[in-house]
Amino acid sequence: MNEVPNVLTKTKPATGATLLSTSKSSKKADWSFLKSALPYVLFFVVWEAFSRLNMRIEMFNPLFLPAPSTLVHDGWALAKTGVILDSIMASSGRILAGFAIGSVAAVMLAVLISKFATLERWVSPILTLISPIPSLALLPLFIIWFGIGEFPKIMLIAWTTFVPVLVNTVDGFKSVPSTLIRSALSLGASQRQVFTRVMIPSAVPNLLIGAQISLGLSFSALIVSEMMGADSGLGYMIVDARNYFKVTNMFVAIILIGIEYSIFAMLLKLLERRVLGWRKGGMGQAVEKAKPTRG
Amino acid sequence: MKLTVNNVQKSFGERTILKDIHLTVHDNEFICILGHSGCGKSTLLNMVAGYMFPDSGTIEMNGQAIEGPAKERGMVFQDHALFPWCTVLENVSFGPEVQGTPKAQAREMAMDFLKMVGLDAYAAHYPADLSGGMKQRVGIARALASHPEVLLMDEPFGALDILTRDLMQRELRRIYEKLKTTILFVTHSISEAVYLADRIVVMKHGVIAEIFEVGLQHPRTFETPGFGEMMAKIERLLMEDEEEALV
Repeated sequence: MNEVPNVLTKTKPATGATLLSTSKSSKKADWSFLKSALPYVLFFVVWEAFSRLNMRIEMFNPLFLPAPSTLVHDGWALAKTGVILDSIMASSGRILAGFAIGSVAAVMLAVLISKFATLERWVSPILTLISPIPSLALLPLFIIWFGIGEFPKIMLIAWTTFVPVLVNTVDGFKSVPSTLIRSALSLGASQRQVFTRVMIPSAVPNLLIGAQISLGLSFSALIVSEMMGADSGLGYMIVDARNYFKVTNMFVAIILIGIEYSIFAMLLKLLERRVLGWRKGGMGQAVEKAKPTRG
Repeated sequence: MKLTVNNVQKSFGERTILKDIHLTVHDNEFICILGHSGCGKSTLLNMVAGYMFPDSGTIEMNGQAIEGPAKERGMVFQDHALFPWCTVLENVSFGPEVQGTPKAQAREMAMDFLKMVGLDAYAAHYPADLSGGMKQRVGIARALASHPEVLLMDEPFGALDILTRDLMQRELRRIYEKLKTTILFVTHSISEAVYLADRIVVMKHGVIAEIFEVGLQHPRTFETPGFGEMMAKIERLLMEDEEEALV
């Protein structure tokens, strides 16, 4: 490896230094990427090896735990039929709609609660009564009430999103420092402007915390509601695969759920970083990392 | 501009915070309200700002009773109270913007005030990037950008280290000489009051104990003739019962 940059420096002495440094840094970047990928690689290698071993010695039925290579092969075949794309689209549509409806409703109610203390006195006991009930317990009821179409599923996801976003946003409105409100008023802001320019931006960090808590819960709601009375989506794919004993398809669906959740969580993180660019603090800011003695 | 505090009383529950407060603030005056913590000086300032109301008596500005916070009475807080999600420039242009000045023009005005406090280079930074002294400069620029008739300052330099504090006092005096805005400044530092003020209102246990005309030439230093005497006089007044209590 050391030969390559040397050759470059000899043939192109003028740009040699820059080439040398870039090739060095990219090599380093590749290494860190490789390092972070290693646990994943190892996980799949062990899985693959174990499944293949099981195919030989049959500790249990090899169909129960297909090897990753089989999953890729069968998953690709499945993708070609369009089932995977349809399922992802159906699930994404539901989660987006439910999540949006739940968040918007929660923020609206939070706004009302922060404006009218009476409302809070009436709403908060009811919330403490019903919010601890796992939303999945409500699903059969929702199906009876709203039928088996899209509506009960989206409603369930919306409800799951609603509670954490509401609780956190209300908390955010309450913890706005009073000096911020006072200074806005002394600068000539109207009540309305205090709300839009001080209360809302102050509550955004809490709102996003609520949204992150909600995301995990609403994914569970999504999958379970698709397992009951649905004919599309990733949850349906799992149930369908169980009915026909297609364990491979089950694994494909499970992995897709993991990937989709990761993508949504990442999008939310990106949004947070964008909206809360002004925030400082945390461990990274508290203690600077000591420089490694050797690069 | 004329601000009059007339026979004001204020209590929180059983505790009387202020009683028999009479004070008239004239145009272009720099007044310091000095006293121990808990003497009611901040309460008085908060009532002038319009965050609180007197139980009895009146506070009037230009003959009108104060009914709440307004842009005529700008406030600078000890904890600076900058909006952390706004850049330095957005913080300063907040006042003009909410009052209906077009955005571009408000930003331009804000930039002028940032230049005045020497922070135009930090316009695009967020408050979290700034040191305590710099944040307080932004706080002052923000309050001034709304062109208040009186600037209320609640121990604005109380959280700063002693060197920064000296620097900020000089800076504030310079700004005052330039704009001649009326200033009502609450502090518990005797030297700060003597350095800054035209008149010092000394408060003790919820009443005004005495009002001193400082009458020293600016710029003042500890060496200015009369500076030490003024400090000693105020200190004696403030420490009187404290010493009696010890005896």
